[in-house]
Amino acid sequence: MKNRTCDGWAALGRGLAAAGAVASVLMLGACASLPPAGDKAAEAEYAEINDPLEPANRTIFAVNRALDDAVLKPVARAYRDGVPRWVRARIDDALDNLRAPIVFLNDVLQGEGTRALTTLTRFVVNSTAGLGGLNDIAADLGLEKHREDFGQTLAVWGFGEGPYLMLPLFGPSNPRDAIGRAVDFLVDPFNRWAVNSNREEAAISRAAVAGVHLRAEILDVTDDLEKTSLDFYAAVRSLYRQRRADDIGNGKSGARLSSGAETYPEWPRGDGSNEVSGKP
Amino acid sequence: MRMFRFLIPVVATLALAVQAAAATPLEDGAEKFLSSLADDAIQSLTGPEKAREDRVKEFRRLFQDRFAVQFIGQWTLGRSWRQASETERKEYLVLFENLMIATYIDRFQNYAGEALKIVKAVADDDNRVTVHTDITRPNAADTKPVRVLWRVGKNETSYKVLDVVVEGASMSYTLQQEFGSIVRQTGSVAGLLEELRKKTAALEAAAKTN
Repeated sequence: MKNRTCDGWAALGRGLAAAGAVASVLMLGACASLPPAGDKAAEAEYAEINDPLEPANRTIFAVNRALDDAVLKPVARAYRDGVPRWVRARIDDALDNLRAPIVFLNDVLQGEGTRALTTLTRFVVNSTAGLGGLNDIAADLGLEKHREDFGQTLAVWGFGEGPYLMLPLFGPSNPRDAIGRAVDFLVDPFNRWAVNSNREEAAISRAAVAGVHLRAEILDVTDDLEKTSLDFYAAVRSLYRQRRADDIGNGKSGARLSSGAETYPEWPRGDGSNEVSGKP
Repeated sequence: MRMFRFLIPVVATLALAVQAAAATPLEDGAEKFLSSLADDAIQSLTGPEKAREDRVKEFRRLFQDRFAVQFIGQWTLGRSWRQASETERKEYLVLFENLMIATYIDRFQNYAGEALKIVKAVADDDNRVTVHTDITRPNAADTKPVRVLWRVGKNETSYKVLDVVVEGASMSYTLQQEFGSIVRQTGSVAGLLEELRKKTAALEAAAKTN
């Protein structure tokens, strides 16, 4: 086990895992192999992947996928195929409207005045003229929706994402986004109302509907990806990171490609061939 | 109206900004290239009466013609490209192209109802352009279109697609991460080639039984 070492995050992961017997079994000896010492390229790659708990994460991913196949996917498929698109669109709008207070709070916390105003106006318009949030009238008026969450707010405040984490049930994450998710859930006015008035089932139902709805929305994409990818875990990890970076930049950063020459090689000039110049 | 004279430089700057925002020939060309690519893809790939072999043939031709296949392939192999032997590189490029065909041929069929709208084209430098498009999905509950960026490169003779970025996620970079993971697990480029062979064979077999 000499070449297997965990860094501080892994130690934290083990500490947390000690809370649950199952989890701690998964964590045993479950650290990614370190790159050979002195190999700069391999070390850079290890840092870019940033997944010191990879073996444990893969195990959790496998369990999540089994649960997905057995429960969530069939339900999501039945929902998508059985419920007319018009009804699903109303549910989509209602879920977005329920989430608007959290989006607004995070807009404010990020100092995004215009976006906060957009979210607030959307909430007022859609809750009233949109019949309790069932219709996104505001979007028709040019006030497009956007997503925000506390994980993004922490990122804007300068917190790093930390290592990649595969959460049981919740899927791809990292310490920053996991904390953000918990904070959003606890602060959410609807959830607070539900808990304070002993209607926990309302908060749970909402989470269940949102989960099935979201799963149904990405069904085609994930089915394709599962079928065609060589390493589904690695593909999901990379896609999650890129999507989060895009969310944090509010979709304006373009792609990460423009930032790193290492990942976006020069397009050769002039000679008309497809040959890449320089190193890949 | 002397007091408004201070506005003159402001207005002049704005006028310049507007001029600068007008599309350059490079950007215009990229837009035209992309809209013709979308038209050709729909025309040649989505006919319901077309046999699958014919669609595969047409898609391969389109892919080779409009995408910088070798450039993308070399990029997605990442740092392993340097370690690969000449024979391995050659086989890799063939397998990579086959994987792309097998991956996207049926996606085009499934996504035939989706409409692509070109939003704008922005030059990255003097021979690369990012074309911003919105794609609406006919069966999604969320009516907000998907934001897809096309990285397009121009050489002397033509434009080629270098990368496709869906909601901030680069398809080439994702593949590079995936291939890198396989190389690390199998320990060699040869291991990746073996996985690529298996995957494309499996996808072909699955397509034939459908």
